Amino acid sequence: MPRLTLELDLNRVEGDLTFQVEVEDGRVVEARCVGTTYRGFEQIMIGRVPRDALVITPRICGICSTAHLYAATLALEDAWGIAPPGNAIQIRNATLMAEVIQSDLRQTFLFFAPDFCHERYADSPARAAVVDAFAPFQGWAHRETLRYSRRIIEIVALLAGQWPHSSHMTPGGVTAEATARKIVDGQSLVTEVTRWVEQRLLGGDLEEWLALSDADALSEWLATRPATALALLDQAARFAGLDAIGSGSPLMLAFGAFPLAEPTANRSHWLTPGVWRGGDRPVVPLEPARIDEHVRYSWFRPYPGGKHPLAGETVPDYQPASDRYSWAKAPRYGNEVMQTGPLADLLVDGDPLIRSLHRRAGGNAWLRQLARLRRMTHLLRFLRQTFDQLAARRHEPHIMLLPDGIEQDGRGAGLLTAARGALGHWISIRDGAFNRYQVITPTSWNASPRDSAGTPGHWEQSLIGVPVRDPDDPLEIAHVIRSHDPCLVCTVHFLDAGRQTGRRVRLGV
Amino acid sequence: MRLLWMQAGACGGDTLSLLSADHPPLEQLIDEGLELLWQPSLSTDSTRRLTQIIADIIAGRTPLDILCVEGSLITAPRNTGLWDPLGGRGKKDVIAELAGAAQYVLAVGTCAAYGGVHAAPPNPADCVGMQFTRTQADGLFRADWRSRSGLPVINLAGCPTHPNTITKALAFLLRGLALELDPWQRPTDFFTTTVHQGCTRNEYHEYDVEDTTLGGRGCLFFNLGCQGPLTLAPCNQELWNSRSSKTRAGVPCFGCTSPTFPRDGNLFRTEKLGHIPLQLPLGVQRAHYMAYKDLAQQAAPERLIDRKMEP
Repeated sequence: MPRLTLELDLNRVEGDLTFQVEVEDGRVVEARCVGTTYRGFEQIMIGRVPRDALVITPRICGICSTAHLYAATLALEDAWGIAPPGNAIQIRNATLMAEVIQSDLRQTFLFFAPDFCHERYADSPARAAVVDAFAPFQGWAHRETLRYSRRIIEIVALLAGQWPHSSHMTPGGVTAEATARKIVDGQSLVTEVTRWVEQRLLGGDLEEWLALSDADALSEWLATRPATALALLDQAARFAGLDAIGSGSPLMLAFGAFPLAEPTANRSHWLTPGVWRGGDRPVVPLEPARIDEHVRYSWFRPYPGGKHPLAGETVPDYQPASDRYSWAKAPRYGNEVMQTGPLADLLVDGDPLIRSLHRRAGGNAWLRQLARLRRMTHLLRFLRQTFDQLAARRHEPHIMLLPDGIEQDGRGAGLLTAARGALGHWISIRDGAFNRYQVITPTSWNASPRDSAGTPGHWEQSLIGVPVRDPDDPLEIAHVIRSHDPCLVCTVHFLDAGRQTGRRVRLGV
Repeated sequence: MRLLWMQAGACGGDTLSLLSADHPPLEQLIDEGLELLWQPSLSTDSTRRLTQIIADIIAGRTPLDILCVEGSLITAPRNTGLWDPLGGRGKKDVIAELAGAAQYVLAVGTCAAYGGVHAAPPNPADCVGMQFTRTQADGLFRADWRSRSGLPVINLAGCPTHPNTITKALAFLLRGLALELDPWQRPTDFFTTTVHQGCTRNEYHEYDVEDTTLGGRGCLFFNLGCQGPLTLAPCNQELWNSRSSKTRAGVPCFGCTSPTFPRDGNLFRTEKLGHIPLQLPLGVQRAHYMAYKDLAQQAAPERLIDRKMEP
């Protein structure tokens, strides 16, 4: 079979995305992540006063604006040496948790699951039930997700005023207290969404589901609840072979999700930060100083090797005729390619079910998607506990008065977990304004192009070996990439590589 | 009615706002007969199909009732638009052709309407809006451009557009309710009320009880950059996500429905002349406002001065 070069456009992701994929003997042998759109946010921040980041940077991304606001706030607090009161941390966390639940639900049932209604799966045993659940605007899971994803973000509005794009976090706290009335409203929303998740997605009690600890227990759970959205997804994903493809980089990065208001010696976050390496010592501590970004294959002014984001620069240098093919930089951790997202979060934190499944079948596309749903259920529990803790301490302050002169020039970093994984803002303030602002989004890690050593990024790796049954409709590639919940609007700014081999076909999936 | 939604230089926030609308929700419009020819986050057809849909619309084979444009129109480099390409062309050029075939063209969000955040200095990607660039009446199209219905681009301004403004405007079109536009081409049904109106901090403003730092209960207009009294938008008249608004939650209004959003300078500071803001509430005379505020401050009750009222 001749070597084919396919150009695949992908929608149902946040933003536009194109892949160049080389297929030989029915399998992907090489992939390049090619996207679109350079917006230049980091340049817009230069010269603005520090607090403007609280308004401008949420607009980087419509689906994770609260995460960007939080990262910007942490970076300013890091630069100024501010530790906000506990209630501020709880309120920030509640809004980010609600945003992540919203995103995980919409990604799963509006962006990922509709692919299982594709005519290719017309003969699958669960066909009728899958279409009945996941068909856009008709299926019950699709319609109910539209409704309940709206409900959960009411929590952000309660505490932050609106979603998307609020600016309720500020160095030293949040702009409004969580009154008892807001807490009761928030608790009631968590209850309502949890009940729906229990009845329609899981088919059982949330705590019992979270107590499942190994692959066999999961199989038993699913076998006894075949009509739930989770069981239907599982059947459809396995029928499509997603449990055997798309593993990509085995190394995973988690910045830690939701700092605890009262950290202990053993635990700093609801979901702990770390780096998953597998093997005998599977998790090692996160060392942010080891992060750098390469531009060898990116359309930015070249520099050798990698640069830490605090020394980073973003100077566009559009060279479509060169071997550079990307508007994205290549982030690396100790020169290694990392993947990030819910699978990383739960493996690092030690969810026994996800670790058991990972031991059994590795980090495949279906496990990645299952981890996203599993994390969403953890977050419902965290969110309930967060409201309970806020209720107990509702008279404590939500903001502190900053001492005069604290807003000095300096440098800082804000690292956290957004819906799609590790998000970082790195800032430098000079003469009262930003002279450097660097953002590395989760999708930057996953969708990275090749680095200075020529090593492909995680997605580029995850497609190698993926079977392409029909080169005119390579649905398998769409499954693998959508299992990552790509968010191209943030960062990924690739353009056409111009490299051509063999027959060239422009496709959409 | 057939709707095509194009995303240009965007964060996706207006698509998420569309999904967040609850009065009416999107699915109700679809049940009622709104046909999504294409929506980048929701369509299940392959993107090959989009190429075909676009060709059919431009050739006149498929009538297009509503074109929604989300995001700034990227014109870099050198007016080619290739920093945001579609099928080897600048997406802005594809959008211009589609607009020529559409009955109604909606700029959904301040980016598509006026350039928005991406057009803020130094405007790295040379962004413009559909028919404006910031306050200048010239964007992808000149001021005299009209769609097939005879209307110019309809600007559903906001960053993002209020969720229910999107679905209500679509419902107006579906149900044949006429849209009247203000000088910034925003439908007057949504843009005659200030954000200030309905703000639960109004009584603080009334008696000039003004906060100087974030996190308090008072008014944010005098010191903290709030644009509520000068911004036309329904945020405090029709609440966000059925719950609240930024100002109710202590976040200043940043004037995101205005062509000048985001304004230059410090977004959390009110520029003042003496002790009175430089920019006054819409249409108010400085001398009158000064007299009113001095009197109001003297009349302020203790319960407000002591911030007893929960906004």
